[in-house]
Amino acid sequence: MAAGLASKWSRVGRSLLGGLGNNLSNLLNTSLEMACNNSLSQQRTFIQMRTVLKVVDNSGAKKVMCIQALKGKKGARLGDTIVASVKEAHPNGKVKKGKVVYGVVVRAAMQRGRCDGSEVKFDDNAVVLVDKQGQPIGTRVFGPVPHELRKKKHVKILTLAGHIA
Amino acid sequence: MRIEKCWFCSSAVYPGHGIQFVRNDAKIFRFCRSKCHKNFKMKRNPRKVKWTKAYRRLHGKDMTQDSTFEFERKRNRPERYDRNVTENTLKAIKTIDKVRSRREAKHIERRKKGKKGQLMREAVKELEQSINLVKAPAVLSEDPSLTLPKIMVKASQPQESQRMEE
Repeated sequence: MAAGLASKWSRVGRSLLGGLGNNLSNLLNTSLEMACNNSLSQQRTFIQMRTVLKVVDNSGAKKVMCIQALKGKKGARLGDTIVASVKEAHPNGKVKKGKVVYGVVVRAAMQRGRCDGSEVKFDDNAVVLVDKQGQPIGTRVFGPVPHELRKKKHVKILTLAGHIA
Repeated sequence: MRIEKCWFCSSAVYPGHGIQFVRNDAKIFRFCRSKCHKNFKMKRNPRKVKWTKAYRRLHGKDMTQDSTFEFERKRNRPERYDRNVTENTLKAIKTIDKVRSRREAKHIERRKKGKKGQLMREAVKELEQSINLVKAPAVLSEDPSLTLPKIMVKASQPQESQRMEE
């Protein structure tokens, strides 16, 4: 079967070469390889401009897009604050669509190293909206939150949380 | 500090090793190394993956019930530090570990030995008891090769009884 496939590819290659030249066939092969590699291992990265995050409090917003990560050249991680724009909101809530808000990242898909040497990662990217002083706008927080927030002095969010990871 | 158990292979996760994955329903999965983590991401069931402890316990390859497992239960209450208690616990851990590993090795040895001995004993018993299903008793007495050889034992008692009679 492999020999047959190889002969087919060589035929295609020869026709391409005859038409267009070496470069096109090479490009096609490398792009296919890259696609296969990407689908196998997902590399999780920072939360940066244009990252859409889920809102896990009852402030009224549902989805929020990061505009700026305060602190951090490459982006925000677990426990950092970001500036975001509300993209999707509940019809009657404290926060409306299109508003610029501050938020604290409470769940990040990218792993964060803990002081004992282990690493934690969550299932999704989630944020809790806060005001400029750092106090949460909502009154409830859903889902697990990490205890990295304690070091960042977001004690209020920890008290509201149902589960501390 | 606590030595956790890997969710996939059930081995010990020492501090500084492995990845902790927190799912949105607040269930925490701890993995000892990327091998286990990658298998988890592939959605493999540890009970079906041959090299995990879960598979081995499920299929009877390793010991499941033993009193030595009672000592290693998860306790969430921190104990007040007592020097004697700590010393005794450390000594106990060593001996319990030795006992447990000895018992596990015995279990595996027993499993590997197979049923040969048991089958031999059963065959001998069956030959003694139910040979009449195959051959008639008259034929048995004639042909000694059909029964097991009877061992002759020298008995000195009849000589004494003769002397007494005299």
